[in-house]
Amino acid sequence: MSANVTDPIIVLENVDKFFGPFQALKNVSLSVRKGEKIVVCGPSGSGKSTMIRCINRLEEHNSGTIIVNGHELTDKTNDIDAVRSEIGMVFQSFNLFPHMTVLRNLMLAPRLVRKTNKVEAEALARQYLERVRIPEQADKYPIQLSGGQQQRVAIARALCMKPEVMLFDEPTSALDPEMISEVLDVMVDLAREGMTMICVTHEMGFARSVADKVVFMDGGEIVEVAGPTEFFESPRNERTKLFLSQILAH
Amino acid sequence: MSALTGWWDDFFWGSVVVGQVFFVSLILMVVFGLIGAAAKLSKSRVAQRIADAYTVVFRGTPELLVLLLIYFGSAVTLTAIAQLFDPSVKFVDIPPFWAGSFSIALIVGSYATETFRGAFMGVNPGHIEAARALGLSSVQTFFYVRIPEMWRLALPPFGNHMLSLIKDTALISIIGLNETLFAAEQAIGATGKPFTMYIVVGCIYLGFSTIITLTVMALEKYANRHLERAR
Ligand SMILES: Nc1ncnc2c1ncn2[C@@H]1O[C@H](COP(=O)(O)OP(=O)(O)O)[C@@H](O)[C@H]1O
Ligand SMILES: [Mg+2]
Repeated sequence: MSANVTDPIIVLENVDKFFGPFQALKNVSLSVRKGEKIVVCGPSGSGKSTMIRCINRLEEHNSGTIIVNGHELTDKTNDIDAVRSEIGMVFQSFNLFPHMTVLRNLMLAPRLVRKTNKVEAEALARQYLERVRIPEQADKYPIQLSGGQQQRVAIARALCMKPEVMLFDEPTSALDPEMISEVLDVMVDLAREGMTMICVTHEMGFARSVADKVVFMDGGEIVEVAGPTEFFESPRNERTKLFLSQILAH
Repeated sequence: MSALTGWWDDFFWGSVVVGQVFFVSLILMVVFGLIGAAAKLSKSRVAQRIADAYTVVFRGTPELLVLLLIYFGSAVTLTAIAQLFDPSVKFVDIPPFWAGSFSIALIVGSYATETFRGAFMGVNPGHIEAARALGLSSVQTFFYVRIPEMWRLALPPFGNHMLSLIKDTALISIIGLNETLFAAEQAIGATGKPFTMYIVVGCIYLGFSTIITLTVMALEKYANRHLERAR
């Protein structure tokens, strides 16, 4: 294996994040290698979103080090747009641009950020719509699609930038139960193709089948990191056990 | 109608002036409104206070008074300055066209400030984050996401601001602008038929406001096209 396969693509070291006096991240350290799939879980308010939002600097951390794909994120990172363009992000609430058709949602960033020409951007967009299995929705507006379809468009939109890493923040939490699997299927495909992924999710089936590591957070801290089998079968920390008993109970 | 013989071209050129004032003041009004909204939404306390003062003053004083203050205020100042260099100067003013356009734009811009502020606040912050997460710069995000989204929310009140502007152009006759009302007054002086002449002016303004209303309706339809199709 060459060095860059095993070198971490994302490193967080002793990261603290405060919202006013409230500390949302406490001394968080995590390292993710290229191609790794990390599932992050933990109770509501434990800092999961804050952590992944710090990775593309939607939130600015207060201390510690974050390195993404070789770029250290600091106040002086003047090329944050370029760093962000290498990281795809999928939100719980889809966040498609409502005034643009599906196709234009997908073409916007390649055209503006990558300066791809119109024909190529459209070809790219159609290719990714095919991959998320909704090529026929290209000319619709987001509001005309179901939640599951919107989320797949959002994934395709992020993929059109050919990111090195994909971040998912509870991508299925806003969906009706019958739509969850269509989104998870797309994410599993992506994982199989070797994408580096950090997914905040409580879909434990997904975690078991694709995760290389499961990260459990509570109270702004990373409490436990383990392989999925170990995590589910023999969690070490009491808080992890409690959390697992709660989410597996219902 | 025979009373109007010989006055048609005065009314026509008056209407052209109304159109020109409207066009210039519309652009200025949008500029003032956007600057005002940007100041109100900025983190700077000073900018916020200045914008607050702007909206309080211009929304709280009669429009005619603002127009007179700006026109005569600037004329007094300019005359004083001119007299420093040439004591024989009697009166220097800003052309009524510009003083008038500027004044009504400033007044209606204070209302537009509130409209734009509210519309910008109505843009879903998640959409802005999504744009930034894709690597769009803040300027690109502004033009491709914020503006198109706020625009839909701002359009209905903005249509009303355009109607205010077109009606306010009539005030400018008072500082001597050759627009339709000015033409009517001259025609009245010559023919002694005030009712006819004012009706003509009324019809001209109704024509303008109908065009504006239809335009805004078409724009609203376009801005809401994604919602229309969902029905
Ligand atoms: N913008 C913010 N301002 C203030 N507090 C925030 C903000 N964002 C998150 N928090 C707080 O930080 C904590 C962690 O939030 P979050 O990362 O969203 O948790 P999770 O995603 O695990 O549910 C919560 O207590 C939340 O209230
Ligand atoms: Mg969250």
